[in-house]
Amino acid sequence: MSELFQEAVIISILAGTLRIMTPILFAAIGELVTQRAGIWNMGVEGTMIMGAFVSYVVATQSDSLPLAILSGILSGMVMGLIIGFMTSTLRVDHFITGLGLNLLVGGLTFFWFRIYVKGGHPPTFTGLENFSIPILASIPILGEVFFNQKPLTYIAILSVPVVSYFLYRTRWGLEIRCLGENPKAIDIKGLSVALRQYIAIIIGSGMTGLGGAFLMLGFSDRFQPDLTAGKGWLAIVAIIAGKWLPKGVFAAVLVFAFLESVAVHVQIIDADIPYQIFFALPYLASIILLILLRRKTNQPARLGVPYFR
Amino acid sequence: MISLEKRLESNISWVLFVYSLACIVGFIFTAFLLWSSGTDIPKAFFALYKGSLSSKKAIFSSLNYATPLILTGLATVVAFRAQIWSIGQEGQVYAGAMSAYFASLMFYGAPLWIHLLLVIAFGALGGALLGVLSAVLKNKFHVNEVISTVMINYIIIFFLSYMVGGGPWTEISDVNTTVYQQSDPVADYSKLPYLFGSTKLHLGFLLAILSAVACHFLIYSTPFGYEIRAMGHNPVALGHRGTNTHKTLLYILILSGAIAGLAGVTEIFGTSHRLKSEALYGLGYTGIIVGMIGGLTPLGTIIAGIIFGGLASGALYMKVLAKVPAALVPTIEGMFLLFFLCAGVAARYKIVVTGKDV
Repeated sequence: MSELFQEAVIISILAGTLRIMTPILFAAIGELVTQRAGIWNMGVEGTMIMGAFVSYVVATQSDSLPLAILSGILSGMVMGLIIGFMTSTLRVDHFITGLGLNLLVGGLTFFWFRIYVKGGHPPTFTGLENFSIPILASIPILGEVFFNQKPLTYIAILSVPVVSYFLYRTRWGLEIRCLGENPKAIDIKGLSVALRQYIAIIIGSGMTGLGGAFLMLGFSDRFQPDLTAGKGWLAIVAIIAGKWLPKGVFAAVLVFAFLESVAVHVQIIDADIPYQIFFALPYLASIILLILLRRKTNQPARLGVPYFR
Repeated sequence: MISLEKRLESNISWVLFVYSLACIVGFIFTAFLLWSSGTDIPKAFFALYKGSLSSKKAIFSSLNYATPLILTGLATVVAFRAQIWSIGQEGQVYAGAMSAYFASLMFYGAPLWIHLLLVIAFGALGGALLGVLSAVLKNKFHVNEVISTVMINYIIIFFLSYMVGGGPWTEISDVNTTVYQQSDPVADYSKLPYLFGSTKLHLGFLLAILSAVACHFLIYSTPFGYEIRAMGHNPVALGHRGTNTHKTLLYILILSGAIAGLAGVTEIFGTSHRLKSEALYGLGYTGIIVGMIGGLTPLGTIIAGIIFGGLASGALYMKVLAKVPAALVPTIEGMFLLFFLCAGVAARYKIVVTGKDV
């Protein structure tokens, strides 16, 4: 256990935090856009698995990582389109839609994966490389933690202010936020509620798909069926705990990522404490966070309520 | 722009038509999936028939597979009827299985029927306790039940993984390797007895059917059942009537959890005869589909559960005879759920296409 407090291990835990944060942050920030538009999308987990699986197939087939990332985003957008059709056009219950989709995609990707490998060994790919920022990366400790990461990690962090700007400083952002609070106002102005909800969920699910692609290409060299292991759900919790504000969501994601990074390192070090306890920690922490932060929620008033004229 | 208009009167033949259409589309998609995987489709469907319906043995196997699904389906019906979106059935199955396993060790040596009753009761208790936990989180701390139940599911799965993968219940020959992550087999006398002598249909199936009948009466013919349905329609009105909705929510989640816990008991003590995650995985999530496709009614859930049980039993044969990956089953289930949801909309609304979107 004391091995956990050596300098090298601590650096590795912190660097791991940023790496593990990346996919959850993409999904959480994307889902934030969706939820501000009034759609309680529970299909984040499924969207993420789909993004991961599609990027796996493309990476092994084409050997091109940019293409793999792009196809992960596209597959997320397609999922968003389906969720938008069910929730915005057909007004099916948002929870049920998301749950159904998670179950379907979990099975479907597993089925396709089995067919893809045809009983043999799963093909592998070379994952994303780290990118050292010149000069900054040579700063002791900080350089290793912050400036020797994969480029997508920086993009994920950058997405927080960008989405924040989009939601609060642009006309489209205003309209999307309005959908979550009072869709009638948009409708009365003669603007299409459905169109804007579709845009929000396609942006959100595209980012979730990107998160799935990073989860695939940034951590592993082959697909496995339970790859996401609840990260999509953690993204949803991060939004609630972060009170639907970009900064708050970012902070909550960091907490989960840190706990998960600790869990991974405990398993590697082989401490006496059962590793399962540490893996359960992010989920336990999420419940505790929700209890502690229950006051003053900022939940969009019409979140999850289908809009009928 | 596409908009929906509520149908004023329900037209039975239209409803039947829409749901049959959903089934047909589901079958076409299934066939397409099989075709795209290069499977011999007639061979696959024949294997499905062989594994689910062709003989007494196959039918009983289907019913055994149906048993936990009917129970988790019922757990879904009880909660979802009240618009409580608990998806904790998965974790409650695990909790039920674990506390029943605990009881089987604890009360080893008690007379047979007392022992079995205790095992079953502890299973229900384990599931119910998780129900209490989510109810308290919702009532006292306003934690959304979807989130709390999902998080509890993950935590409990890690807990089982520890208990049988290094913890006190690890299979004795496996302590140093912990490869299989399973317990020792349960004692012969803890196993749920078979209903008809040598055939393998176990007591759990009877338990599932009885639970469904009990739920039917509970929902439609008791004051508590009225509260469940009223909570789903209008919880505010229910509160004004003088009902303590916090209590109603607590009781609903206890009941739902207890039924899901029974599913864990039937699976471990009726079918797999060992405590292991593999046997329990997905029963809760599939139960949600079973309950939904059963129209959130107990009797519909029996039918949906038996159909899905047959699918699961037939999938074994499809895997062996037609080399179809077993993952086809959850895929088909998820697909049918989505088509049924769409059919539900078509049954209740007219879909009207008007003008252009701006």
